[in-house]
Amino acid sequence: MLLEREKTNRYSRFLRQRYQAILGYTGLIWAIAGVVILSPLLALIFYPEEIGLAWGFALPGVVLTIVGGLLWRFLAPKKTISLSLPEGSVIVVLAWLIAIAVGTIPFMLIQGLNFTQGMFESTSGWTTTGLSVVDVTQASRLILLYRSNLELAGGGGFAIVALSAISGISGAGLTSAEGRTEQLAPNVRRSAKLVLSIYSGYAVVGIVALWIAGMGWFDAVNHSFAALSTGGFSTRTDSIGYWDSPSVEAVTIVLMILGTLNFLTSYFLLQGKFKSVIRNGEVKLMALVIPLCALIIFFGIAVNLYDTLGKGIRVAIFETITALSTTGFSTVGYGDWSSLGWTILIVLMLIGGGTGATAGGIKQFRIYALYRALVWEIKRMLQPKNTVTEPDYWQGERRSFLDDSKIRTIALFIFLYFLVFFIGVIITAAYGNSLPDSLFEYASSLGTVGLSIGVTSADAPIGLLWTQIVGMFLGRLEFFTVFIGIFCLFKDLPSIFSK
Amino acid sequence: MSSQYIVVVGCGRLGSILASRLSSQGNSVVVIDPHENSFNNLSSDFSGFQITGDASEIEILRSAKVEQADCLLAVTDKDNINLMVTQIAKQIFQTSIVLARVFDPAREQIYRDFGIATISPTKLSADAFMANLPS
Repeated sequence: MLLEREKTNRYSRFLRQRYQAILGYTGLIWAIAGVVILSPLLALIFYPEEIGLAWGFALPGVVLTIVGGLLWRFLAPKKTISLSLPEGSVIVVLAWLIAIAVGTIPFMLIQGLNFTQGMFESTSGWTTTGLSVVDVTQASRLILLYRSNLELAGGGGFAIVALSAISGISGAGLTSAEGRTEQLAPNVRRSAKLVLSIYSGYAVVGIVALWIAGMGWFDAVNHSFAALSTGGFSTRTDSIGYWDSPSVEAVTIVLMILGTLNFLTSYFLLQGKFKSVIRNGEVKLMALVIPLCALIIFFGIAVNLYDTLGKGIRVAIFETITALSTTGFSTVGYGDWSSLGWTILIVLMLIGGGTGATAGGIKQFRIYALYRALVWEIKRMLQPKNTVTEPDYWQGERRSFLDDSKIRTIALFIFLYFLVFFIGVIITAAYGNSLPDSLFEYASSLGTVGLSIGVTSADAPIGLLWTQIVGMFLGRLEFFTVFIGIFCLFKDLPSIFSK
Repeated sequence: MSSQYIVVVGCGRLGSILASRLSSQGNSVVVIDPHENSFNNLSSDFSGFQITGDASEIEILRSAKVEQADCLLAVTDKDNINLMVTQIAKQIFQTSIVLARVFDPAREQIYRDFGIATISPTKLSADAFMANLPS
């Protein structure tokens, strides 16, 4: 009996120690999230007339930064420790929940949204979805920039990447918890720094390119951030369609593809290692899917719907890429599209972008891997029983092989994805939306895409908005992290506080 | 200590400990082993790259970017493989620090002739035994 108590005591002491470290690291992420919330204030240099709104950002931003900073200062262990995957998940879940919750405050204080709407907008921003309940014509520049900054930060997994760059946490537990399994360099810290510099480099190049293409500086900054993070918040009601310019669309397309490309692939592209880029499964899949779907949309819809051939081609390509990359910019409305076009867009949104990028959806790698597994299965049936086969695929410069455990993980993930998808569709439909509308809108939420056909609006029912909030959150963090994180928290909390 | 680029050949009991520790100290670590299962020995501290393959093949060493490495540790349980890998690293890739594990003390002389530093567990334990004997 005494021994038993001694054991539980020791266990809860150990847990308290671990959770102290977890809170310390989470504090640093909160501090960074606080800085992100403060970041739109930089724009006051150019728009001093909006100084009256500054308090709405300063209040939550400063409080979060200070609280986070204090936690980091006093709780984080002095020696670097390594985190396991469950511990990483706890950090990621805690960090995201608080970042989203505090990110809600400026929308409520300045934009006059209620709690649900603010929560929706904040979640949509951090998860780089881009569905919006804000009327952009009535929004101040600070709010618009704030939304874009949220997307930029959320898309890069900025906070987490920055955490590994600054604190030098060793081990891959944290990065894989946020869905960034592949590393650019054989060292967490260097990897994180590389990702940061590639990402910010793209953002700067994107701003300049969009400005050259004919946007104003303010719009260029917002759209560069939103395209690269595959977010999709726009400063105009008509999104990219407002400009109706081929060059703006071309630059946006490039940015969206760069955003949806795995950072590792991006890194090889920048180094000029084209061989590694071409043999990557995701690149192959994109090279097949994009032209194919663009052709279907062109011949099935655009050719009859738009007056000029040029416009038709532009719409077909742009809409395909915005859906696949899970960005959610649009150049036209989809109300007059036929069911064929909607189906294609829904399929693209379900497939989603690349792994280890800023995109959402099921992810191209999983689709590619399952396709390879299917071919492998059929081949094995045709060949003699003892044939040795090796279904390989390339991840960067490393050749990997499919095996049953990988296929199982992927298949389970896709099952879970569809489960959540259809639950979401059922709830959306229960609020009186048609089946096509529900399918489209929930595929858009869960894949963090942001294309909308009008279900999402400021006056949408509260329950519907919350269903979408949950979808966006789960979709961004890829289910398992959220489940593991929350499960660990609930399992460990009682023993932490037990004497 | 500044971050170094280190290649560890062999991911058994010794290799995995070395790789994990070096990685947690903030070094860039690549570990090579012919059996993918061996990488399970690595602790969660490890955040480097893993390469599945035979390190005595030059292509595998190339893919590990040995030419850029500051340091190579050959710690498989085969003396001959350790010798061969370290020789290749030293002669072809000009790696500045090369260390090999060697079990058979009789072979140490050969290593020394090639200019490769060795650590011999056999000799180390012999010394340890001797030191603990009453003199």
